[in-house]
Amino acid sequence: MIELYHIWKQYQKPQWALSDITFRAERGDFCFITGPSGSGKTTLLKIIFREIFPTQGQIVINRRNILRVPDHKIYSLRRTMGIVFQDFRLLFHKRVFDNIAIVLQVLGIARKDIRRRVFNALRMVNLHHKMWEYPAHLSYGEQQRVAIARAVVNSPKIILADEPTGNLDPELAFEIMSLFKEINKKGATVIICTHDRELIRHFGHKIFFLYKGKLLRKETL
Amino acid sequence: MNNLWQYRVRNVFSVTIICLSFLIVGIFLSLSNNLQYTAQQISKNMVIVFFLKKDLSEKDRNTIGEKLKKSSEVIKTQFISSEQALGKFLEKFPELQGIVNNLKINPFPPSFETTLKEKILSSDETQSFIQSMQNMKGIDDVQFNKDWVERMQSLSRLAKAVGFFLGGILILASFFIISNVIKLSVFARKDEIGILRLVGATNTFIRIPFLLDGIIMGILGGMLSLFVLFLVIKLFPLYLGSSLGALNELINFRYLSLSQSISLIGAGAVIGFLGSFSSLAQFLKV
Repeated sequence: MIELYHIWKQYQKPQWALSDITFRAERGDFCFITGPSGSGKTTLLKIIFREIFPTQGQIVINRRNILRVPDHKIYSLRRTMGIVFQDFRLLFHKRVFDNIAIVLQVLGIARKDIRRRVFNALRMVNLHHKMWEYPAHLSYGEQQRVAIARAVVNSPKIILADEPTGNLDPELAFEIMSLFKEINKKGATVIICTHDRELIRHFGHKIFFLYKGKLLRKETL
Repeated sequence: MNNLWQYRVRNVFSVTIICLSFLIVGIFLSLSNNLQYTAQQISKNMVIVFFLKKDLSEKDRNTIGEKLKKSSEVIKTQFISSEQALGKFLEKFPELQGIVNNLKINPFPPSFETTLKEKILSSDETQSFIQSMQNMKGIDDVQFNKDWVERMQSLSRLAKAVGFFLGGILILASFFIISNVIKLSVFARKDEIGILRLVGATNTFIRIPFLLDGIIMGILGGMLSLFVLFLVIKLFPLYLGSSLGALNELINFRYLSLSQSISLIGAGAVIGFLGSFSSLAQFLKV
C-alpha cells in the first residue's frame, strides 16, 4: 500500500511543483496519474521512490514512513520496486543484457538464473533478439522497452512507470500496458504516469488528475 | 579491472605518484638499513685496547689481566706483547719495514685487547668500567671506538626519520591524488552509480569495484617503487665508481628486508583503499 499525506514540493520560490497531494493506492491497484506537461507527475513519482524529498508531507509504503529510512538503507525499499524512467536511464556502455541483469546482480541472484530471467523479460517486450546489442544501436521505442524489461525482471511488488509508452506506436503501447496489467493481476501495485487518454480509458482503474501541482480529482472506474 | 583499463592514462599517473612517494621512503629506509648494518659491524668487532706502561712488572701485568678476565662486561681478553704488536704492524704494512728497522727501539707498548659484550657497548656501565681500568696502576692509555658506533646509530636514526618525514608528506600527497583520481572515475560513472542506487544496490555493492581499483593501484605503486629501488641499488654503485673510496661503504644502499618490503606494499594498499573510500561518500546519497 502506498499512502501520500499532504505532499508539498517546491524547487524554487515562489512556485510549488506539488501542492497538498494526498492519495492512497491499495495493494494490487492499477493507477494512472495524468495531467498536462509540467503538472507534477514526474515529481510525484520521484518522491514515491525517494529520488527526491518533498518539502512537506509524509509517504508511507507498506506501513513504513520512507522519509525516515536512512540513505544507506533505502535500497531495501527500491528492491521492491520496478521503475521505468521517462529518460530510460540506460547504461550506454553496457549491452542490453547487462542493463537488465544489473537489477538481478544487485539482488545476488545466480548467474545462470540471471540469464534465463533476463531472456524472459526481454521476450515479454519482444526484444529477446537484441539481447547482446548496445542501447545506442536501438531505436527510442526499443530503448524504452529495455527500460520496461529492466523494471519487471525481478517481479517487483510495486511498478512505477513514467510515460512508459511515450515513444511506442499504439499497438505496442497496448501490448506493454497489457504486460503491466498481467503483472498487476499477480498482485503488484502499478502506478503509471501518462497523458494517453486512450490507454487510461481502456486500462484505467484508479485515475488521479493533476493540474499545476494540484490534485484536481480522483476517479475510480 | 575493466575500469582500471578504461581510465588507464589517469591511473598510470596515479600509480607513478604512489611509486615515487614510496620510493623516497624506500631510499631512506635502505640508507638507514645500511648505517644500522655498519654500526652493527663496528659493534661486533669492537675491541678496547688497554695500553700498558713499558716498564710494567709481570706481577702488575697479571693483576690487570686477571681483573679483565673476571669482569662481567668482558667476553675475552688477550695480552699482546710489544714484539707481537710490532709483528702485527709489519704484517699489515710490510712496505714500512725499512722505517721500523731504522728505529732503535720498539715503539709499540704492550697491551690487552679486550672484547666487550655487544649489548653493553653504549651503556654507562662500559664507561665506568673503562674509567676504573684507566685508574689502575700500569695502564697508560685506552683506545675505544664507541663514538663511531654511536654516530652510526644516530645517523641511521636520522636517515629513518628524514625518510619517514619526507615520505610521509609525499604519501599524504599521493593519498589526495588517489582520492582525486578515483573521484574523477566515480564522477565519470556517476550516472551508473545513480542507476545502481535506484535499482536497489547497497553502498557496499557500489563501493567494492572502486575500492578494489584503489587497492590495486596502491599495490602496483608499492611494487613498482620496490622495483625502481632495486634498480637504484644495483646501478648507484656503478654510477659512483670507486671515487668515494671508503665512504662508498657508508652511503651504499642495502635492499629492504622482506618485512619492510611487505609493509611498503601493504601501506600502498591502505593508501589506495582510504583514497577511494573518501572519494566515494558524496556520490552515494541518491
